Amino acid sequence: MNGNSTSSDWDGRYFHVDQILDKAGPRTDESFVPGDQVKDFLRNNCKILVIGAGGLGCEILANLALSGFKDIHVIDMDTIDISNLNRQFLFRQKDVGKPKALVAAEFIMNRVPGVKVTPYYGKIQDKDEDYYMQFNLVVCGLDSVEARRWINATLVNMVDPENPESLKPLIDGGTEGFKGQARVILPTVSSCYECSLDMLNKPTAFPICTIANTPRLPEHCIEWASVLEWPRVYGDKKLDTDDPEHIGWLYDVASKRAKEFKIEGVTWSLTQGVVKNIIPAIASTNAIIAASCCNEAFKIATSSAAYLNNYFMLIGTEGVYSYTFEHERRKECPVCGGESLDISIRKDWTVERLIEMLVEKQDIQIKKPSLSTPTKQIYFQAPPQLEQATRPNLEKKVSELVEEGGEITVTASTLPFNLSLRITYT
Amino acid sequence: MAQPDSQELGQATTAIHSRAQPDNKTRRYDRQLRLWAASGQSALESSRTLVISASATATSILKNLVLPGIGHFTLLDPNTVSPADAGNNFFLNGYASIGKNRAEEAVPLLTELNESVDGKASIKSVDELLRTDEGRQWIKDFSLVIAHNLPKDTLESLSSLLWEDLINPPLIVVRSAGFLADFFIQFHEQCIIEPHSESFPSLRLTQPFPALVEWADSIDYDGLDPTEHAHIPFPIILVKQAQKWRAEHGGELPKVYKDKQLFKSQIKDLQKKLDEENFEEAEAQVWRITSDVLLPSEIKELFSLTPLTTSTDPSNAAFHALLQTLKLFVESPEGPRCLPLTSTLPDVHTDTESYVRLQRMYKEQAGKEAALFKKILSETYPDKPVDDSMVDLFVKNTHHVKCLRGRKWGSWEEDKSAIVESLEVYPKETSTHLAISALWSLQAKGIDVTEEALTADILSQLPAGTTLPDELDNAIGELTRAPTADLPNTAAFLGGMIAQEAIKMITKQYVPVNGYCVVDLVDTWTGIVGRA
Ligand SMILES: [Zn+2]
Repeated sequence: MNGNSTSSDWDGRYFHVDQILDKAGPRTDESFVPGDQVKDFLRNNCKILVIGAGGLGCEILANLALSGFKDIHVIDMDTIDISNLNRQFLFRQKDVGKPKALVAAEFIMNRVPGVKVTPYYGKIQDKDEDYYMQFNLVVCGLDSVEARRWINATLVNMVDPENPESLKPLIDGGTEGFKGQARVILPTVSSCYECSLDMLNKPTAFPICTIANTPRLPEHCIEWASVLEWPRVYGDKKLDTDDPEHIGWLYDVASKRAKEFKIEGVTWSLTQGVVKNIIPAIASTNAIIAASCCNEAFKIATSSAAYLNNYFMLIGTEGVYSYTFEHERRKECPVCGGESLDISIRKDWTVERLIEMLVEKQDIQIKKPSLSTPTKQIYFQAPPQLEQATRPNLEKKVSELVEEGGEITVTASTLPFNLSLRITYT
Repeated sequence: MAQPDSQELGQATTAIHSRAQPDNKTRRYDRQLRLWAASGQSALESSRTLVISASATATSILKNLVLPGIGHFTLLDPNTVSPADAGNNFFLNGYASIGKNRAEEAVPLLTELNESVDGKASIKSVDELLRTDEGRQWIKDFSLVIAHNLPKDTLESLSSLLWEDLINPPLIVVRSAGFLADFFIQFHEQCIIEPHSESFPSLRLTQPFPALVEWADSIDYDGLDPTEHAHIPFPIILVKQAQKWRAEHGGELPKVYKDKQLFKSQIKDLQKKLDEENFEEAEAQVWRITSDVLLPSEIKELFSLTPLTTSTDPSNAAFHALLQTLKLFVESPEGPRCLPLTSTLPDVHTDTESYVRLQRMYKEQAGKEAALFKKILSETYPDKPVDDSMVDLFVKNTHHVKCLRGRKWGSWEEDKSAIVESLEVYPKETSTHLAISALWSLQAKGIDVTEEALTADILSQLPAGTTLPDELDNAIGELTRAPTADLPNTAAFLGGMIAQEAIKMITKQYVPVNGYCVVDLVDTWTGIVGRA
């Protein structure tokens, strides 16, 4: 490469990055050897996976490419929507409707010569451990809690203490409006995504009785339209929140109800916001968070400087406030903790009540849990026959099925792990 | 299943929703309009930003301003693209751009991100512009100026020029090297009607208006059936209980911990059955009685703030007129002797009818007070009409409004005792800022960047005998390692940070940073020193 400039690589290209790779800094680990070897690893051997090609993903891909990563893979299951264009800067109007992963990969390869981006248009769950094992690092820019829990659990499960290569650092970013966070997860070593689940904002949930009987806010009318009226009128037909016709129908129904109850404030934008659970998103916040994720990826891949330990939180609404701290592992974490979670319930609680509690519990966040003990099935959500067979248990008291100190295993189709509860009664 | 019903609904209402459906522009900007609304968007669209230097950091900043749709930008840079630029700047055409002008190469790749943005390249040098009246005027005609990694001397002339007159645009000074950076917004005054603060305005339950009192008085807990009892809105419960407490305690409200607990338990005892959510809510909202703030001290302080001069930005002049009107409103015997009432209620656990009734009461009372406010405004400022929508917005936000006063870039450093104190209180943040300033100073003097030279320069700026904190070693070590590196990730990070601040300055929504924001991307932290 030296003295050999072509349009796909040229002398002086890495002048800026090489200032870091040619010399250690005061907070660089002793194991760092400056010079050609680390550059060669970064540019010719390091394989990195980016999950998500949306708001964070576009930024992440560009930053990694400029930092010198040359073998980048990207997974995304979405197609481009017009509302992405205010921040997802690798997409243009003409790309609306096309898969994000494909368009993003092509854009990066055109703009940053010599970088190979391999896209996969699909779900992370389509891929197995062998696939994830090929990467040195995983950077995650997702807006879905479920997908993050999945990749987190998958990477934790992959760790084989005998094989250091099996530990894949996971760098995760997330944003909401002017706020965001970036974190470094070393599976089984540092706090994992599941360990910090209770830090998430509780999603606003409106009780069904309010929606049905005592609506007060425009949101209640919109929920009435989408949760109660849509299935009543359309039966099994699925509500498609991306279909303007469907949103229009909800908007009309909600407006009518609002008028009837003298409630003000139902708008198209609010209707869409409520049913799609839209989170405000801007280019600048994504840029900050994606940059910190890529900066950590660069430091970890090259050992050129200390890296984030392990959580960076930013609030940009009032000045610039940030907080860097070490999030602690939770020993009862169902993914990386190994200990079962102690749950204390009343002796007269039914299985149904316990399920209700699990669904509401902030550090568990499970949607449709199935319950069993080592010897018997308590309740299964699927398949239908099993659901039917175990349904009578819903009304039974937990204490009739599980002895004091006994264990319940909780599973859910959305989670790639089991949660183990130790039940005590009060 | 129920097919006719849906058709009926569909036909009856097609016309409504087809009118409400957003246009393409609203759809494109949907995720940001949910933050700064149409008013913020139109402020962005009428802004004109000058960015000096087409570095990787500068183009990253611009990218994050072009995407949300600023009106116009000019990118100023006389330099040609070097092989290093082609390697670290996403908004250049790689190898093909080498040797061409940096600004001219970058601008098409930036404007391509959003066709509604007008962008221009200028190949002039800022030093030349600063030397002529015409050039200086050209710079002053922008609404915001952002400068990345300009030499010390240039920064000093530029900041002096823009500080000279109140009507000149704010200046954002950005300096970065390797993993370290700082930035500063130079402005005289930033008046913010919508800071989007997350605190709640008072519902005025400790000083209830007549309609609230009437409702509270009409409640006889024992005379209500269980459903009605479970639907008394919490503000009414609190007003009623506060009045009862006052009657029994010589007109005082619960102040000490013991009394607050007692007040709470009295509400709990009102529950007729377990889990009456309205009473539980009243208990949880007891702070609205015990810590009700009718006139926040920050707002009271603003009353004595004198406007800088009359020649200031017209919207700031209007803000000060509104502020003085607010003071008169609070003092007026016709008014509530506190801030105008908010018209927006939080959700309250009750039935629809009671909620709508309560909401209407608040709206009516707020409307009356807004009318008084407007009356005072027109009497006090008969010849200076303020835009009605601005008045409404101000009245709605009187609990939150802010007026920040800034300072000139570099003026903090003249206050040696402040620096010494800051070194003690914020050692790593202050060290990093001083180290970056020292790097700029060495580069201006043409001195080699070594740890010794940086330390010597820092010491020369401080009173004799000042001890430097250990944290300084981390900063000067990083700067000697990479004194001229514009790292892609640092550039992208700053690109986001500066764009956020620029958006806050332009929209006058949210609160911009006041002081130097210092960034360290080794341990990944940010901090603030030298607040005005
Ligand atoms: Zn964990």
